[in-house]
Amino acid sequence: MMSLSLIFIDELKGFYKSKVMIALWLIFPIITILIHYLTPGTSGEMPLSLFTSIIISSIGGLIASLILTVQIIHEKDARAYDLFLIRPIKRWYLLVSKFFAVFICVTIAISIALSVGIAIDLFQNEVILDILLPGIIDSFVMSISIIAISSSFGILIGVVSPSIIVGVLIVIFIGQYVEILPLLPAFFGISNSALFVTIVGIIITIVLMIIALIAFEKKQF
Amino acid sequence: MEKKIKCPNCQTIINVIGEPGHQIKVKCPACGSEGVFTFDAVYSNSSISSNKMVVLNKVSKKYKDLLALNNVSFEINKGEVFGYIGPNGAGKTTTIKIMIDLINRNSGEVYINGILMPEGKNKIHKLIGYLPQDVGFQQWRTVNHALMTFGRLSGLDKNSANKRIDEVLKWMNLDHIRHKKIIKLSGGMIQKIGLAQALLHNPELLILDEPLAGLDPEGRFFVKDLIKKLSSNGTTVFFSSHILSDVKDLATKICILDWGQVIKIGSFDELRTEFTSENQLEVVLSKNSGKWNKVNDIQGVKKIIERNSNEFIINLDKSIDNDEIIHKIINEFLRSNCHIRSVGLLSPSLDEIYQYYLKKGGGK
Repeated sequence: MMSLSLIFIDELKGFYKSKVMIALWLIFPIITILIHYLTPGTSGEMPLSLFTSIIISSIGGLIASLILTVQIIHEKDARAYDLFLIRPIKRWYLLVSKFFAVFICVTIAISIALSVGIAIDLFQNEVILDILLPGIIDSFVMSISIIAISSSFGILIGVVSPSIIVGVLIVIFIGQYVEILPLLPAFFGISNSALFVTIVGIIITIVLMIIALIAFEKKQF
Repeated sequence: MEKKIKCPNCQTIINVIGEPGHQIKVKCPACGSEGVFTFDAVYSNSSISSNKMVVLNKVSKKYKDLLALNNVSFEINKGEVFGYIGPNGAGKTTTIKIMIDLINRNSGEVYINGILMPEGKNKIHKLIGYLPQDVGFQQWRTVNHALMTFGRLSGLDKNSANKRIDEVLKWMNLDHIRHKKIIKLSGGMIQKIGLAQALLHNPELLILDEPLAGLDPEGRFFVKDLIKKLSSNGTTVFFSSHILSDVKDLATKICILDWGQVIKIGSFDELRTEFTSENQLEVVLSKNSGKWNKVNDIQGVKKIIERNSNEFIINLDKSIDNDEIIHKIINEFLRSNCHIRSVGLLSPSLDEIYQYYLKKGGGK
């Protein structure tokens, strides 16, 4: 387990200060502010925080899966895993560490953007927090579910895809359908959607990760 | 499997029997204290001599229709430097990857230090240092970061890893790049960092896949010197190479592989013995009288090849005592009033021996 935490901390350190992530730390709050000023009509019908979370989480999900797919394929091609796999560690440590590193970083970036949206809602539109809170929780849970599913999908495609181009195309064209799966309960009018979104998100993420881990375990390096 | 363990209380030796990976309750017959013993999840082969570091027994590997390795068998003793040579696509890298469990084999057995792979890989991976042919790192890492991670994953604590990184980088004259990002290093530098990570935990078995490829002359000299030093300290070294002169310089045992089959294994001298059907004597004269044609008549002289007016290659019959023939040849040259500058038996190069065995092996 010491090895797992070592690899995870390494991945986290490597990822949070990567150029992509530094851009995301800044871009997501900027998008939130732009949404507020460029679509002023939206805030009247739907709180900015909710609207932002839908936009940002779908962008964040796509970015998380793209980052993971490209990084894993690139590291496979560069034979970067060989030096890990000849050491006394389990193969799954590599993928699980990567998943949590990207998931945590993108979730924090989205949370910052969401906080900016909430702040704008509270101070500019004078929305009462008690009214806003259930929507915020729903949108936050939905965002996290989307990021988790997207991250695990990115890992899976990174492991099984033969090339970066193929991987990127799969993530762009199929990933968008996979990542909206946790929204299905809301479409079917199921109440208490935060709970269902969480359950669906966890199940899909675990299933995708298990498939990815099995594929990685069987992979011939 | 059976194990002898010591009772922690009274130091009595207790025989325990169980399966690899299983836990059993043990009660000391002397003091009655109880405890749980866990058998290692490894499969040792006691028939393998403790002197053997690597044993490959009839290992085969198939990629779809291509038989990449066909019943490859060899043994490497502890402390040996094993040179693994063969043309491109012969199966050298496949063999190495099977040895260290980066890929599966279809049949056969691999024992490292008497432990069956891949079942005992967690134990074995601590003993191994490995340099791949195309070594790769995660590009966002600095040299220090990468080496620290690999050192720690190999079992070193933070302080020991830090100390070893310092030592190894200084030793390799790379301490100035310790905090550079790997993406900014040249191919040769990355190869050296690859070697550094393989040495961090003082491995008992060093496996190097083409370690000299892509290095400048200085780097090659360093790596060759390093292999010699490690070998003299008891490290077993397995390396593949295309540079046959380097293999000849370094290897105490050479294995020639072609089309997935072992063609020949042995020391350079053993390989040469079969190759040389006749010995060749090189004679260089400083003054050539031109009257030495009786040399042709000496029994055991098969053929004389004139390189130029004062240099000759004389083929000798291997079945006759060469020392006696050489003595007669020298006498004949002296009698003919020739001045001899040098006389010496020619040794075939490893390149010639290699080509000989490849042709003999009837490569497909």
